[in-house]
Amino acid sequence: MSTETANSSGSGSGSATSSINVESVRAVAKKDFQDAIRSWVFWGLSFFFLLLLVGITGGLAYFSTGSGSTQELTTGGLISIVSQVTRVIIPLIALILGWKAVAGERESGSIKVLLSLPHSRKDVILGKLIGRSAVLSLSLVIGFGLAAVVVAAILGGFDIAQYVGLLGMAILYWLAYTGIAVSLSSLTKSTTLAGGAIVGVFMLFYGLWNLVRTGFRMLMGRGIIDGVTYTGTAEMPDGTTTEFTNERVPDLALFIESIDPGNAFQNALSIVSPAIDGVTYPGVWFPDGTPFYLEDWFSFIILLLWIVVPLTVALWRFDRVDL
Amino acid sequence: MAAIEANALTKSYGRTLALEDLSFEVREGEVFGFLGPNGAGKSTTINILLDFLRPTAGEVSVLGMDAQARSRDIRKRTGVLPEGFETYDRLTGRQHLEFALDSKGADDDPDELLNRVGIADAADKKAGGYSKGMSQRLMLAMALVGQPDLLILDEPSTGLDPNGAREMREIVLEEADRGATIFFSSHIMEQVEAVCDRVGILKGGQMVAVDTVEGLRDSVSTGTTLRITVDRIDNGAVNNIRAMPEVTAVKTDESGPSLIVECNGSKTTVLNEIEQQGLEVRDFQTKEASLEDVFQSYTTGREVRAQ
Repeated sequence: MSTETANSSGSGSGSATSSINVESVRAVAKKDFQDAIRSWVFWGLSFFFLLLLVGITGGLAYFSTGSGSTQELTTGGLISIVSQVTRVIIPLIALILGWKAVAGERESGSIKVLLSLPHSRKDVILGKLIGRSAVLSLSLVIGFGLAAVVVAAILGGFDIAQYVGLLGMAILYWLAYTGIAVSLSSLTKSTTLAGGAIVGVFMLFYGLWNLVRTGFRMLMGRGIIDGVTYTGTAEMPDGTTTEFTNERVPDLALFIESIDPGNAFQNALSIVSPAIDGVTYPGVWFPDGTPFYLEDWFSFIILLLWIVVPLTVALWRFDRVDL
Repeated sequence: MAAIEANALTKSYGRTLALEDLSFEVREGEVFGFLGPNGAGKSTTINILLDFLRPTAGEVSVLGMDAQARSRDIRKRTGVLPEGFETYDRLTGRQHLEFALDSKGADDDPDELLNRVGIADAADKKAGGYSKGMSQRLMLAMALVGQPDLLILDEPSTGLDPNGAREMREIVLEEADRGATIFFSSHIMEQVEAVCDRVGILKGGQMVAVDTVEGLRDSVSTGTTLRITVDRIDNGAVNNIRAMPEVTAVKTDESGPSLIVECNGSKTTVLNEIEQQGLEVRDFQTKEASLEDVFQSYTTGREVRAQ
């Protein structure tokens, strides 16, 4: 340690202070779990997931008996609807529950209880993330588990593999958003700022992200960037086929689109359940095959990166701030 | 080896200087009282010791280890009662202690610790229902986990009633007897007076005095008040005494009768002069400056006047 200990230098990397200790992480996670599992939010959420699944299945069963129903009474049909609902609901709940994780403790002073004990700041963030994720995952498992019985009864047939796949994907999606929330929470001292950032994230992925393609089209229209030209064949009304050339947005735009955790969830889920449509681009867009980063399996990696990257930033940053 | 050694610590927030070139040493095994008015920089110093805050300049070592680089190792051997903490509402007192035991890898009996701080009967109640004083006791119990070599107590009497404050002092003394070093901050002099081997007084981010309680008292005892019982009161004599260079004020008290003389300097000269004036000195009492006065004098810059 040098004599000059400026704010920015903090403690040297790899020093005892900034290290991660598995036992410490476990102790913090256990405490956070014990704390959170006693909150009504946990039980409320479990009940909510139960109702959600049972409600949707009930609705499906009711409406599919009528003629002209679009959804078939199958696990696939259930998953298709549930995935649409969870795609919106999980980020909301994860962000709402996570935004205070660290900023709230800093504001109230309970972080002093944690850090008076021999835990590093990294231990605290990791422990909180694990503890919180465990509680939320458990509520999903309980909700889905209880619902499974009812759902199986209503559906008659029941594809456990697809159902468990949906549960697993929901947990992964959940982790990604909890990671984002806990990380944002650890970057600021004020819960107001953390809350603002969380709202920002939601607006980003539910508003702005839908405009990615439009945005790129506008840029192409103004000649700022070049689109990708492709040729395809179209069948004319008289039965002849004609070749046409068109322009599409560049791969980058498609990739940016697929980064949205919601899209990634949807795409990754399509691998688990055939009822879900994954990435669908017209075949003519990629005469030489789809680039690997636009394929469905890559969405798993994107979800994992959504857990790892914000967390890395938070771990790095939180080590360097005054509490 | 010093238990705590701060060397030219400076902490600034923008243009505000919270600590300015602060240096001090706490010896191993002593009870060190860290005194100062609110806003003097006590908590800032303690937060730097615990690596909650990073100093702008200077360095500090705790138990011989750098406070930034080896904070975890320091906190393994240190019990902390921080200021402005909040317990976890949904966890019981026992769960809090189990968490501390778990965190420190210690195997003390949680009930024994809770009993020691006087909240054994609330062990299984959720801390959300604790009073401020009970939370303070709970946090103290957590600080005592694992027989730490150093106890850092930031305003430990906050929220405690006089009885609780006394129990707190007893625990501090017990821990000192065990051999632990105790560093505790307070803005209340009398708590420090009763238990501290040495006292440091912080003002405006600087240490203005470090000494034993006795030493501090001597250093500022410029004023002494004498209460002298005499046979009679003579106005002429009183005026002559008041005119003495050593004397700053004289009051008379008919019941007694007695003179109340505030003086700087030799008591004997004053007593001799009274006899010279033809009054008979029957009895006299001296009042020294209390440590509270010492504290006042260092922290407000006013001269001490004993009463």
